[in-house]
Amino acid sequence: MSETKVKHADEIFKSFKMQSVSEFFKKNAAMLGYTGKLRSLTTLVHEGVTNSLDACEEARLFPDISVYISEIGPEHYRVIMEDNASGIPLDYIPHVFGKMLAGSKAHRNIQSRGQQGIGVSGAVMYSQVTTGKPTEVVTSTGDKIINKVNIKIDVEKNAGEIISRETLKNPDKWRGTRINLEAKNLQYNRSKYGPYSYLKMTAIANPHTRILFVEPDGTKILFDRNVRVIPKNPKEMKPHPHGTSADDILSMIKNSSATRVRTFLVSEFTRVSTKKVEEIEQISGLDLDINPKKVDWEYAEKLVNAIKQITFMAPPTEGLIPIGADSVKLGLEGILAPEFVHTVTRSPQTYHGGIAFIVEAGIAYGGGAGNNGLDIIRYANRTPLIFDQGGCCITEAAKSIDWKRYGVKDDNAPLTIFVNLVSTHIPYTSAGKQAIATEEEIYNEIRFALMEAGRSLSRYLSGKRRAHEKLTKKKTLLRYVVETSNALGSLIKAEDNSKIIKALTDIVEKKYDFEETNGSEEKANQILEENGAEEVSENGE
Amino acid sequence: MENKPQNIPAILGNFGLEIYEQILKEESPSIKIPQRGKSNVYFDDDEKVIQLGDKFSKRHFLNVAHTKKFMQTVLVASYCRRLVEENKHAGIRELYYALKHTVEGSKENTFDDQIESNPIIEDLETALDILREELNLTADRRGYIYGDIVLKDGEDEFNASKLGRGGWAVPGTVEEIEFLNVNAEYVLVIETAAMCDRLIEEKFANKNNALLVACQGQAPRGIRRLINRLHEEKKLPVYVFTDGDPYGWYIYSTIKQGSMNLAYLSRRLGVPDAKFIGMTMDDIDEYGLQKVTEKLKDMDKKRINEIMEYEWFKHKEWQEQMKKCLKLGVRIEQQALANKSLEFVAKEYLPQKIENEVFLP
Repeated sequence: MSETKVKHADEIFKSFKMQSVSEFFKKNAAMLGYTGKLRSLTTLVHEGVTNSLDACEEARLFPDISVYISEIGPEHYRVIMEDNASGIPLDYIPHVFGKMLAGSKAHRNIQSRGQQGIGVSGAVMYSQVTTGKPTEVVTSTGDKIINKVNIKIDVEKNAGEIISRETLKNPDKWRGTRINLEAKNLQYNRSKYGPYSYLKMTAIANPHTRILFVEPDGTKILFDRNVRVIPKNPKEMKPHPHGTSADDILSMIKNSSATRVRTFLVSEFTRVSTKKVEEIEQISGLDLDINPKKVDWEYAEKLVNAIKQITFMAPPTEGLIPIGADSVKLGLEGILAPEFVHTVTRSPQTYHGGIAFIVEAGIAYGGGAGNNGLDIIRYANRTPLIFDQGGCCITEAAKSIDWKRYGVKDDNAPLTIFVNLVSTHIPYTSAGKQAIATEEEIYNEIRFALMEAGRSLSRYLSGKRRAHEKLTKKKTLLRYVVETSNALGSLIKAEDNSKIIKALTDIVEKKYDFEETNGSEEKANQILEENGAEEVSENGE
Repeated sequence: MENKPQNIPAILGNFGLEIYEQILKEESPSIKIPQRGKSNVYFDDDEKVIQLGDKFSKRHFLNVAHTKKFMQTVLVASYCRRLVEENKHAGIRELYYALKHTVEGSKENTFDDQIESNPIIEDLETALDILREELNLTADRRGYIYGDIVLKDGEDEFNASKLGRGGWAVPGTVEEIEFLNVNAEYVLVIETAAMCDRLIEEKFANKNNALLVACQGQAPRGIRRLINRLHEEKKLPVYVFTDGDPYGWYIYSTIKQGSMNLAYLSRRLGVPDAKFIGMTMDDIDEYGLQKVTEKLKDMDKKRINEIMEYEWFKHKEWQEQMKKCLKLGVRIEQQALANKSLEFVAKEYLPQKIENEVFLP
């Protein structure tokens, strides 16, 4: 034993640290979306595409995104993703692609796509963990040079490390970023959990985007741009007092420069007026003139309890950016080419007493809609939710509706139901962030939105059925015209049956032209025909 | 009611012209047809026959539920006009086959079954108040006549008692049959051929101056029209002899006051003065036939309850018969009389009943 060399603490700690970051990744793979071969591939695509969409939005550009997936070995794929965003200056590349848990929006009260807090660096990490290879990043801000770097994550420093760098000329003023990585333990197929479905859903909810996708077998798919408007950038919002915890208050105090609790409350929260502060003071019995830095847990808790008893104005909603009913409609029409679309954007509501949200819903029927029947496509802040469909508030709300009442006669009807939940804080059921918890207010709003769209669908379907019935009836009538006319012609010894044929045809045509402009006539005839029986009349003579 | 010759082609032609005029006026073409069936028949107490009510249906070409029938009606009318003009006769099944073809430009047939064409013929009869026979349509023949009557059918003249034991088979259409010489006192209508054959063998017709008519179940139109004419034109009383059960009694009622289905023809087919000779429930005791009855089945009981409700069976004596039948739970067939002896029916049962006028109304 004495011969054994004692290890220095640094050495132990070094390996501990090294292990911990990759351990962290492995342990949290599920939470980060890297679980299962198909899902991991979808997550890789998701991280890259989300990054690109955010970058384009911030730069006010129409996104042009390309995704190429190729198979380079068993369960071994190459993923190339390219965008036309503003590009990344050289100095920032390690930060964007190398730093884990460094999401810029993680602690801000702002509507964001990802909320994952790991982003594209997770993709780099996954590639590195499964193949040991760096990720190639080619980017230019549109100036004279293109930077081509290979980047790895230095797990020790939790930072990106540029392994090699090359500078290329940029005569065509190309601007954008291209990521090229390979990874193992992957699988590609066209199921609803795969990249194809993910990109299709992304295209529907981001109709200002053009996505070119090349599948491993070389199939090229273009999800084209359908809207010529770039969505507004979401604004950061001050939190609403309802829905705030003691812990939230303590951490907000840290970032506040207020000198008194009274002013802290007015300046850091929305909808808190001096009058409301007086109410808080009365109910809590707290001295609100103390320095916020002196606020302890107990004080904060009392504050929260008092706040709960007071009614505040609903939170402002300008921070919430819905896609907009018109854009959702164009998105669904452009990607699914359905027969019928109806979309709804509801007005903002709150749940948990203070968290603002907006529900957007759409129904697409016929054409490319549906997936061998009802297809529910779910979004949180326009990011597709692919997994955990069963446990999601959106699924539950959509399935709680009796679609038969809206004229959807069978389970195989080609129906796509679109729901986007917009909120600064999406209540996910778990860290995987693939399902929304069933909050009563959200559940009801989704139902209301779908029922509104459903009523419109119902009108469309019954109109369609009527039109179809009308056409069938007309055809039926026309079918008997010639036979009847010829028989009548021979009965009355007419010289020319074609005259009768023409006159009778005209009567049939006229009846249906007339009906198109006269609802009551149609209704009357419909009732007559539904009864089927020959019209009965008493002969009063 | 008399054989007033009608100009059938003109009637059919006018029927077509009315439709034609509607079409020329760009009106929705329709045909008015009296409703047939139970909901539009009533028992006429004065004439003692079942009559058609005054409810009409309208058949519209523009109503998809009617269009096909409309077409069929015109087809049948057109075909019949040709038959009459060419002086040809066709069976109603022949008519069905003659008109059955694929509707031009479709996969559909003009008629899919004879049950579609038969009611159309009846529609035309009621709508135009003419007889099927006048349209030169014939039904399958059933039933025969035997007895001392000289008939003229086309070129042929014959005595119905000189044609052997089979008598003369009555055709579906008897409008043109002439009665040249009738040597009989009454007409006896018999439900079963077996009983009629028995009476022929026993020389019942000769001995009693009777005309025997076997209707072989529910009396077909030819038989009914023949009985009607013998009664109306030759003033012969009509006696009906059937099994003692609800079916036999209904055969009697059809001969007497017509049927619901052909209510529009009751005046030409019915014999309101007809009398019922047997079998009755009283015969069982009267002739000691208890051993040769048949048990009623549930279906039979149901049928009795049904016909008890018909207005024309409301007569006290008939109600008593039916009640008795239900009470005893039995029925009695004509041929059960053979239990006495083969000659019994001809030598005792019928002559006694006719002599003593033991009839049911």
